[in-house]
Amino acid sequence: MKKLMNSAETMVEDMLGGFVSAFPQVKHGTSDPRVIKRAQNAKNADEKVTLLIGNGSGHEPIAMGFVGQGVLDANVVGDVFAAPSADLILDGLAEMTGKAGSILLISQHSGDMINGRAATMMARDLGIKTVPLPMYDDISAAPPNRKQQRRGAPGTMFIYKILGAAAEEGRTLDDLVALGEAVRDRLVTLAAAVTPPISPLTGQKMFSLPDDEIFLGMGVHGEPGVGRVRVGPVRDLVGQMVEKLLADRPMSEGSRACVIINGMGGTTMMELLTIWEDTRKVLESKRITAIAPMIGSFVTTQEMGGFSISFLEPTDEMLALWCAPSDTPSFPDIRMEGS
Amino acid sequence: MSAKAYFDALQSRISREADTLNALDAAIGDGDHGSTMLRGSTRAIAAPHGNRAKAFMRASGGASGTLFGLILLEIEAHLDAGEDLHAGLAKACERICDLGEVGTGDKSMVDALAPAVATLENGGLDAAIAAAQAGRDKTTDMAARRGRAQYVENGGRGHTDPGATSVVMLLETLAEVTS
Repeated sequence: MKKLMNSAETMVEDMLGGFVSAFPQVKHGTSDPRVIKRAQNAKNADEKVTLLIGNGSGHEPIAMGFVGQGVLDANVVGDVFAAPSADLILDGLAEMTGKAGSILLISQHSGDMINGRAATMMARDLGIKTVPLPMYDDISAAPPNRKQQRRGAPGTMFIYKILGAAAEEGRTLDDLVALGEAVRDRLVTLAAAVTPPISPLTGQKMFSLPDDEIFLGMGVHGEPGVGRVRVGPVRDLVGQMVEKLLADRPMSEGSRACVIINGMGGTTMMELLTIWEDTRKVLESKRITAIAPMIGSFVTTQEMGGFSISFLEPTDEMLALWCAPSDTPSFPDIRMEGS
Repeated sequence: MSAKAYFDALQSRISREADTLNALDAAIGDGDHGSTMLRGSTRAIAAPHGNRAKAFMRASGGASGTLFGLILLEIEAHLDAGEDLHAGLAKACERICDLGEVGTGDKSMVDALAPAVATLENGGLDAAIAAAQAGRDKTTDMAARRGRAQYVENGGRGHTDPGATSVVMLLETLAEVTS
């Protein structure tokens, strides 16, 4: 398989070198080059709660692309598709956390949870004030009564941005954790995979899928989900996905839904905009207003084809924070009518 | 006695037994437990003072590297800074149960570590090692509840847990360098 790279050994460092030289908002940490942090922070870490996340690489632009004013303070970057080690996350926590404390966001996958939580335990031994916040939203991974067993999926970007904007206002650690949990409670995501990604480590397809089938509910690493459906007009697929999302977390007539349409890397903006428009229309037919969409390929798995739909039923406060300005390499301007 | 001598001895022990650990793991898991432990301990011996367990975590990677690293952090703090061994290992054991979502009887490293910690409260290291060895041997007849082993035939009954085997090696090495 074709892949534009120099070597599997250097690919993460090659990418990070390009990232920090391209974007003035970010730089390498002093504790380790795998810590990517803001180039400048308007408030210092004794006044502003620090937000960090660790994740495996290979999913860019998430999460390093969201480091900057109004979203994340730092990203600890692991090897390809592998959670960063606990001691590396600890380095990030120790370098970044001030008197206001820090939140380690963790997209819920087993390696990320073990290493991330271990890092916060080790940090607390050193007197660092830090709290882990597991994020999960993939409705195909567990039923609503076992929500806490769900995987982290692209809807977690609502948590990044809303907490990032709220932290900028100088809110306390406890306030932010409560807000993050409240967003998590109002959040659902469902994904559909169309074509497999190629692993840069092996050069092989990461799973197989017949040409005329789409896999509903697949995770970002090809984890199993709901099941297979035939390829047809995308509005039929979108209709089916919106029904599942609303069955999982019902929204009443007259409510508003913030929407993320996330492409997995190999799906075009032409396709994603079609999916957004079909999503908006299905919601409209149920008297639910789709607002402030985020549309594009943000949580990717190499050239994997497919997309996910995420809904957040926001409070007024959450909506304002979701639409707050930010300055990062990759987080888009989120706009709604009148803003 | 320094942590340096401990990690030197551990690396030497693991390099002799890595194939055995890989074989134990191949029966119920990924088959790489020995290689993981060897990679971690080899990096630890080259790391600066006070950073050996952290270097082990970084190099071994994955969940098991982190969980074993938590034990090694406490052994390092005991040897280099005189921290209490029982309190340290008790904390590590509690954290491993929490993070790995395992308890005694689940066929894991905890089956060797927990009895060692319990024995260490009032007994010496030799007694703790005997308790860890007995715990390790009991894992042979257990069915796994977590990790890949839960999906193999009979939950891996008939195979001794590689993680419990490694815990015994960690403690035996400690006795070797402190005696």
